[in-house]
Parts: sequence; C-alpha cells; structure tokens
Amino acid sequence: MPTAWVHFNAQRKAAGQELLALTADRSGTLRATWLDPSDGRQTWMDWGVSGGRFPSLSVVLPEVAWDEREIHDLFGYLPEGHPDLRPLVRTPRWPTTFLPLGGSRRPPLWREVEPDLPALQVQGEGVTIMKVGPTHAGIIESGHFVFSLIGENILHLDVHLFQNHRGLETLLEGETLDAVPRVVGRTCAADTVSHQTNWALAVEHLSDFTAPPALTRQRVVLLEAERVLSHLNDLAQIPAGVGFQVAHQRALSIKEYWQRCLKALFGHRFLFDTVRPGWAKATSGEALVEAVRGLRQRFGPWRRLVEGHVGFQDRMRGVGVTSLSQVIRLGAQGVAARAAGKPFDARQMLPWYGEFEVKPVTGVEGDVKARFMVRLEELEESLRILEAAAPRLPASPPRPAYFALPPDPSGRVVTFTESPHGLNVHDVTLESGRVVRYHIRAATFRNWPLLAQAVGGNAVADFPLINKSFELCYSCTDR
Amino acid sequence: MVKAVRSLTIRHVDAGSCNGCEQELTALTGPDYDLQRYGLDIVASPRHADALLVTGPVTDTMFLPMLRVWEAIPAPKVAIAFGDCAAGCGAFQHCYASHQGLAAADIVVRGCPPEPGEALEVLRRWLASLHGGWNAPPRSAGDAK
Repeated sequence: MPTAWVHFNAQRKAAGQELLALTADRSGTLRATWLDPSDGRQTWMDWGVSGGRFPSLSVVLPEVAWDEREIHDLFGYLPEGHPDLRPLVRTPRWPTTFLPLGGSRRPPLWREVEPDLPALQVQGEGVTIMKVGPTHAGIIESGHFVFSLIGENILHLDVHLFQNHRGLETLLEGETLDAVPRVVGRTCAADTVSHQTNWALAVEHLSDFTAPPALTRQRVVLLEAERVLSHLNDLAQIPAGVGFQVAHQRALSIKEYWQRCLKALFGHRFLFDTVRPGWAKATSGEALVEAVRGLRQRFGPWRRLVEGHVGFQDRMRGVGVTSLSQVIRLGAQGVAARAAGKPFDARQMLPWYGEFEVKPVTGVEGDVKARFMVRLEELEESLRILEAAAPRLPASPPRPAYFALPPDPSGRVVTFTESPHGLNVHDVTLESGRVVRYHIRAATFRNWPLLAQAVGGNAVADFPLINKSFELCYSCTDR
Repeated sequence: MVKAVRSLTIRHVDAGSCNGCEQELTALTGPDYDLQRYGLDIVASPRHADALLVTGPVTDTMFLPMLRVWEAIPAPKVAIAFGDCAAGCGAFQHCYASHQGLAAADIVVRGCPPEPGEALEVLRRWLASLHGGWNAPPRSAGDAK
C-alpha cells in the first residue's frame, strides 16, 4: 500500500505536471512542489521524516533519484527503498558525522583521501573502463566521468559531479536580504539573471509587492539578453565538437560582440548584479534596438554558413538521441526536452511574457542536430522579444527602486523562471528578514541523468559533441 | 637556474568557478583577443605547461586533483589565480567547502569575472617583467597552497 506521500507525487506526475522542487529542512519536513502547466498553479505536500527515514519516491518517480540522494547526503535523512544510495554530493573527505544541512554548519576537518567514489561499471568480456576528469584538457568545468566501453562505443556512463560543490545553500542560511543577491547571482554565470530574478520574485511575493509592467519589461529584456548570450555560447561550442573551427571562431566573435553590447547597455558582460527585489538595471530602448540590429547583421551570415554546410549537418544527425518518453520519465527541462518534442517553456507560465506571445520551439528527433536547431530558433525568438520590448521600456525608471525593501518579510515561496538551460526553481524560506532555508534547483540538475542515457551506444569520441549539445552547467548543479 | 622565456603556456583547472571565468578564458582564445599572438597559450597537458591557472575558490573536492596537476607541471612554474574567487575575495569565500582561493599565487588576475582585455594586459605585463629571462626558483608541490 503506497503511502500518501508516494501517492500524491505519482499522481501529479501522471497528470502531466512539472516537479518544481523536492527538498527538506532542518526540522525534518520534506516538501514537494508541483506546477500544473495548464493553469500555472502550484500544489505542494509536506511529509514528516520519521526516525530519520522517509519512503523513497525514486522507484515510481525516477526523476527524483538525485534529489533524494542529495537529501540523504546533506541532511542525513534516509530514503527507504531507494535503488542507488551511493553518495552524490558527499565525498570520502567529509567525516561521516558532517551533515552540512542537518547538523553543524562549521567546516569539518577534511580527511586527506582522494575524492574517488564507487562507480557503476559494466563487467564482462571485452569491456574496458575509461575514466575522465575531474580536471580536463580543455577550458571547461570540473566533472568526473566513468565510461564503460565496448570497442569504440559507450555501454554505460556514470556521471560523478559535485566536484565544484561549495555549499551555497548552507552559506545562505541566516543571511540578510542585502547579502543574498551577490551569492545567488553567482550560482551560475550562464543563468545569472534567471537566478537573480527568482530571488527578486520571492522577496516581492512575501512582501505583497506586484511588479508594475515597466519593471517586468525591464526584466524580460534582461532575461532574453541572457538567453541570447547563453545560446550564442552553446551554438559556438557545438561546431567545435566536430572540428568545424571556422564556425566556432566566428561564433565566438559574435558572442564577443554581444558581450560588449551587454557591457555598454547594462554595465556587465554577463549581466551580474542587474536584478534585485523591486529593481532591475535600466537601459535605453533605442540603444537596445541598435545592439540587436548589429547582432542580426552578424548572426544572419553565420546561420547561413552552418545551415548550408552539409558535412556539419550530417555530423550532428542521429548522434546523442533522446526519446520523448525518456525526457518525460526523467523530468528533463529546457532545450534538451524541447528538442525531443516536449512543448514546455516556463515563460508561458509567467504572466509578464503574455504581451510577447512566446511559443515554445520544439524538435522531433532529440539528437544533437535538434538541440542545435532549437537554439537557433530560440535565439531568433529572443531577438524578436527584445525588439518588441524595447519601445515599451520606461523612459525614466524610478530610483533607487520601485519599492523599498521591507525590513522583515517572512514565509515560504517557490519561484521559477525559464533560464537559458530550462526551468530554474528557487524554494525560499524567510523569517523576519533572514534566510532560514534556500534551495536552488536548476534545470541542468534534471538533465544530467538524461545526458548519461543519451550517450549510450554512441562512439566515445562523440561524447564531447553530445556533451556540448546539452551544454549543462556544472556550477548550478553542484552549488 | 635562468630559463630564457618569451612565452607562457597555461594549464587551466576549474576549482569551483561559476563558469564565468571559463567563458572569458575561452574568449581569450577567440579571434578578438587571440592570446597566441603574444606567446601565451592554454594547453591540454600539464606536461606542456609553464603555469597552472586556477578559477574558483578551490573547493574541497578539487583541492587534491588541483595539486596533482601542479605536481605534473615541470619546474620552474608559476601559479595564476584567475578571478576574484581564486584571488581570495569572491562571493563563495565563506562556504564550508571553500579553501578561500589560492594562497600563494604568482600572478593574480582580479575581476568577477576578469574581462578578457584586462586579463591579457596582466599576463603580458608579467611576461614583459621577466626581460626575457626567468630565474624563478624551482617549487615543490606543497607551495601551491
């Protein structure tokens, strides 16, 4: 007989809802929050941990397997019946008594051991194991990958992340409202505006402040400018994965143009520190239109180059395929999910996007090519939104902000935005103007298990290409 | 030992960065900055490197792998702290799994993240300060921290 906890969550999934967040708190309560895409409504359920244990959802809901392992690692609560409770975030260097969200927040005395963890490896005749990382030959983030190979092909990939785990959520506990944006905005450079906006929405919701259209348009502009930058970066990396250096280098140059525009328009090449509660960095509509025009002039010829290159198109086709059923089963988000035909884009759930009529861009094949094409189209769509929003930007936004930060908001709220990588969720609890618990669930956290499945059967030499087509950040996954 | 140098090859290790520093490093290799013009390069193997470039506050998990890379670089060698996190003044200094950046960096490139043009300036100025000869003492593995 399944418990009410399992029943509630399985039922939400069966009804086609999106899991926003599943996390715990120090008092021993779990909360699962779901989003109904048909009407944008949130529902949640709390479940008390009893004797340090709770019934695992992973068997009926594989997408939460990592969430439950993280809860086990950081709080010490045991998900009973979990099929794979190897450490996810913990390293052998932590003393077993150290629980960063369950017990002491003080740094432990690290044990002087190599951070190797048990890996799932295929056994049998002809199988070779190839370990890669955590340091890499290129300029990329740190992660450790254990490949089981048969000949040139990947049988199984075991992904060991959290090499970049700093402990952001613990750091934020007890912080004042002023101290939060600097940390939250740096969760990930590629999705910074999305993270900053989630924090702003949380404080505004708990203070009963409704952002006026002038402010929401400023934020739409920042969110779309960030999407353009992130998609340019990802589009630049995919040709590099097949050795198409001309397209790679030219795209880097277009990205550089856009970063210089962002610096001129908003004061920062990645848009750090541009959104706060009641405030967003303002810019002039004319300058924005001018910047977009320059980007179109550069992007148009580049798009013709990559779309007209038959060899490049062939190279992407049928590589790193994901099926729609895999995407749904693992709760994948963003470009990776849409490229396999899942028409979910969280921008449709946000009322401020109503005036711009965003339509999700979807693909069918779920391969590298589909993910590349979805990004191409989404970039054009973002440029369209920027052009539509520019004339509606406020001529002189109020200084310093649209509302004064209240001294002591309290309560709990789950906020989300569509970052360049997908559904980005913050579960925030405040008490008298201080953070009690801050949980960040970035889209990439949901997509890593999908990537591990997508590489199966592919040549190991194509792993960089497939990896770049997902372009998952390690930083917002590891936190 | 004086080693004649007009170039500096760099091996990068991410030790907890937000990916901003990585993106700006990649920009340095692009056509707008093209760091190879100045005798600078980012190389794949520590065996080909003169310098270890670290981004991020040095997470606990990346501490030993980072030391292994440092050990693999032949002496004489230098350590570069790239960005505010590695320089010891970033947003994550007080996280429980953070080592507050590189304690003993020879070259510090500030910024969150450093802008590529400025980063290039810092590296070129350091190279010029050698006046073509390098008499840095050989360093042991433990000196990275």
